[in-house]
Order: sequence, then C-alpha cells, then structure tokens
Amino acid sequence: MFSHNRRKLLQASGAILAAGAMSSPLRAQTAAPRVVVIGGGFAGATVAKYVRLWNPKIQVTLIEPNPNHVSCILSNLVMTGALGMTDITLRYDNLRTKYGVNIVADRAVAIDPVGRKVSTQNGSQIAYDKLVLAPGIDFDAVPGLDSAVLPHAWQAGPQTLALKAQLQAVPSGGSFVMSIPLAPYRCPPGPYERACLLADSLLRNRRAGKVIVLDANPDVVAEAHTFHTAFSTTYAGVIEYHPSTEVTSVDWANKTINTNWGPIRADAANIIPRQKAGKLVAAAGLLGSAPGARWASVNPLSYESTLVPNVHVIGDSQGTGQPKSGHMANAQAKVCADALVRYFAGEAPDPAPMTNSACYSPITSKTASWLTVVFGYDAASGLMKPVPNTLAEAPTPTSGHYEDMFGWAKNLFADSFS
Amino acid sequence: MKAHPKHLGRVAVLALALAAAAAHGAPPAGRLLASQCAQCHGTNGQAVAGMEKLAGESESEIYGELIKMKASIKPDEIMHRQAAGYSDAQIRLIARYFATGGRTTASTSTTSATTSVGSTAGTTSTTATRRKSHDD
Repeated sequence: MFSHNRRKLLQASGAILAAGAMSSPLRAQTAAPRVVVIGGGFAGATVAKYVRLWNPKIQVTLIEPNPNHVSCILSNLVMTGALGMTDITLRYDNLRTKYGVNIVADRAVAIDPVGRKVSTQNGSQIAYDKLVLAPGIDFDAVPGLDSAVLPHAWQAGPQTLALKAQLQAVPSGGSFVMSIPLAPYRCPPGPYERACLLADSLLRNRRAGKVIVLDANPDVVAEAHTFHTAFSTTYAGVIEYHPSTEVTSVDWANKTINTNWGPIRADAANIIPRQKAGKLVAAAGLLGSAPGARWASVNPLSYESTLVPNVHVIGDSQGTGQPKSGHMANAQAKVCADALVRYFAGEAPDPAPMTNSACYSPITSKTASWLTVVFGYDAASGLMKPVPNTLAEAPTPTSGHYEDMFGWAKNLFADSFS
Repeated sequence: MKAHPKHLGRVAVLALALAAAAAHGAPPAGRLLASQCAQCHGTNGQAVAGMEKLAGESESEIYGELIKMKASIKPDEIMHRQAAGYSDAQIRLIARYFATGGRTTASTSTTSATTSVGSTAGTTSTTATRRKSHDD
C-alpha cells in the first residue's frame, strides 16, 4: 500500500514539475532566467541586489552609464558645505562583487518588447526575460532656462556643486529665488528643506537677504506644519513663501524670473522644473492612457506595466501615486524583486504587498524633522493606499532627529547599494 | 498506523510542491514584509549604523515591541507610526523572520508561516517528512 502510494506520489510530482516546465515562460530549462535592469539609482540598485540575494540562479544585468550613483538624499547638506560629494557618492562595486550583478557601463536607448531586448548607445543588444526600468525623472522645458547655467540640482552630481556655487554667489543682502514644481515630483519635502537650508546658510554667513520661494502648488506639499512654522518663525524675515506661483520663463541675462504674477529679480536662483517619467518610459509606450500622463501605468503587485508585458517600472517613473523618493524606490524594488523571484518559480506575486516611506529633512544646521507613511495594497481598488494612522510628521525638529537622519541614510544607502 | 491514500496524496503533493517551489527560489513567509524594515534597520536586519539591529533578536522581543508601539502611538516616535501600518499577523511574520534569520518555511502566503528551523529547503523537507510519517 505504502510503496504503491509512494510510486503514485512520485509520478504526481513528476507531473507537477513537467507541468511547471511546460507553462514556464522561460527559454530552455537549462538556461538561467535573465533580468535586465535599466538605471542604477535607489530603485535599480535595490532590485538588482535583491533578485540576486533572493535567488542567485537568476542572471541580473544592470545597465547604467555612470560609474557611481550620487544620492539626492543628503545632497542639500553638500550645498551648505556640511558634507562633501564623497559622502553622497555610492559605488556599484558591491553589487558586482557581493551579489554577482553584471554591470554594463552603457546607456540604454531603446527597448524591443517583442524581441525582448534592449539596445544601448554603444550598439549592444541585451536580451531579457524580464526587464525592469528605473530611469528616475525627466524635466519639462522652461522657456529661457538652461539648467547648465541655473541648476535644478534635482539630480545630484555636478548639479549639486552648481547649486552650491549659486548659494556662494549671493551678495550680502541679496536675493535667492527658488521654484517648486507642481506635484507629483521627486521628494515631496525636499524643496522646502532646501529653502530652509538656503536661509540657514545665508544667516550663518551673515549675508541674510531673502530666499524667495515660488511654489506652483497651492500650499506646502509635505510636512506643512514643520515648514510653515520654519518659514514664519525660524526664518521670519528671510524666507518669503509664495504659493500658487509658477515660473513661466527665465531671462537670466537680466537676472529675471518670470511668473504668473509677474517678473522677479534675483541675484541667484534654483529653478526646479516640472517632472515626468524618465525618457525611456514614454518612448516604450508605458505611460498611462490619460491625456497628459506623466508616469508609467503599473500593477503595484509586481510593478509590471499594464501596457507592455514583461516590462516593470519602479521608483520615480512609476505612477502608483506613492511618493517619489529613494526610500520608496527601495521599497518598491523589493516588491518587484519578490514578484520576479516568484515568477521564475512559476508563482503569482504576493497578493498583499506593503511599502513604506520614512525620511528625515534637515531644518537648520543642527536639527531635522521626519515624515513617514505606510502603504498597503487595497485589493478592491487595485491601488497602494496609506494605512490609517501611519501618515505623520515630527511634531518639532530636533537635534536627535538630525542624528537619526544619518543612521537612516547610511542604512538606506547600504541596503540599496551594498 | 493505517494509511489514508487520499489524504496522504494531498499532503505529500503539497509538501513536494513546496519543496519544488523552494528549490526554484519561492520566498519564505515574512521575507518581503521584513525586507521593508531594511531601509533603516539594514539588509536582513543587520543595521550598519545608528539604528537598532533586528537580526538575532527573539521573535517575542520584536513582536512585543511592535505590538506595544502600535497600541500607544507617541507623536514624536517615527517607529510607532510604522508599527501601526501592520496587522498583528504581519508583525508575527516579521518577528519570526528576523528571529530565525529568514529560515522560515517556504510559503506562497503571507499569512501561513509555520515552523522555523533549518535552512529553507531543509525545513521544507523536514515538514514533508513529519507530515508523511504522521499520515503513515
């Protein structure tokens, strides 16, 4: 009886494995599945690392033209001089040596979703079974604005140093104009944090003139209590906050920023244009069908495109409505990595993924605030929704939070890049 | 013990399916949930700086702390808000994952963690063996 059942059992298990093989989307069973990731920011680095961490049988190739990633997180502290560029420069070495990620120093220029391959600037064709796009953000053009002259510094690197130079160029009693684009944009509290640190820096260097903040949004987008308090008390007389004010064009030869309320003169400026998904997303037909769609339409269970199969989009380019930030990009990358590992095991994605956002913003040179929220998948709507009671900002900026900020950043850097 | 062929078949097929899934890299229960702590607490709970290291803490310690946090949210504690994001069952899975270093039983469900000893593959085959011998 026992042996009979065992034989049937073995036959049954053989049938299961055979069925798995037949329904498998892979090429020959002997070949390793191939995941190709485009873009080595927080999203791309994290998904590359975690797919390998969770299943080293999957081949992972990361296509990224830059030799390292410069983090936007903490980059406002490079602007003030509190940190140096090395503190925010993250290398790809560990992805290669510790996790076996194949890193291709090249730029992806086109995707063939039918032939399942990526073309690169250097003329390579890189084949995939699953493609993950993590190209970050792209900017709308602003008439008269050349970001090489007036930096956005909303991608870190040379732009960060250009912003630092703008700050240093403010004469005593001069005016610094910065603009905030319509949401959604990368890092909701980031522009307000920058306004605070610009003001703090001018005050500490006894050059205090004005920091004029032109916000295209009707009110502060994130941490409204923290930033309204900072603007009206800590930086009273220095920061001028103008909501619902959009930059329409720039005439920097005449040091003039034009807005929907009229022109404003500036000694230095930081214009952050409105944002949209990285270039490849639109080119690959991954934007939502709504007119003016700016972000990739994806299923938040796996971050697979709702429009093109086997192409996933994570990080700032995805359009699930979750905040755009390095921490969130890391969170989505793990949900995507888990879904990819399950996919190659012939399984459906986790039906109830969770993500979270947590970030610290310096408010002065010695204090910081924080902002947090937890998201859970809502099966009824198919959306990631904030869990009740989890969205909150720090009641007051403190030196303790300032210290925690570095613990948060170091762990986030390491979890994503090493 | 008398064999119940139908029952044996079902359990054993499930065990084999789990073993097959584990061999192909299907995730242990709680792994994805626990990975969402790593942004601040380090990959697999191995914090590199400034934050609590979760790896090696006991299941009851992590579970107890998180349940307490979400029961009495203090406005100046960021972790209390994070804890409030998860159900008790999810917190149990997270705590178990960190306590066992991720060596929980392979499972396709986030709500059905079972035993937590040995390696992923080893645990699955242990479970399979125990279930088989019990049914036999």
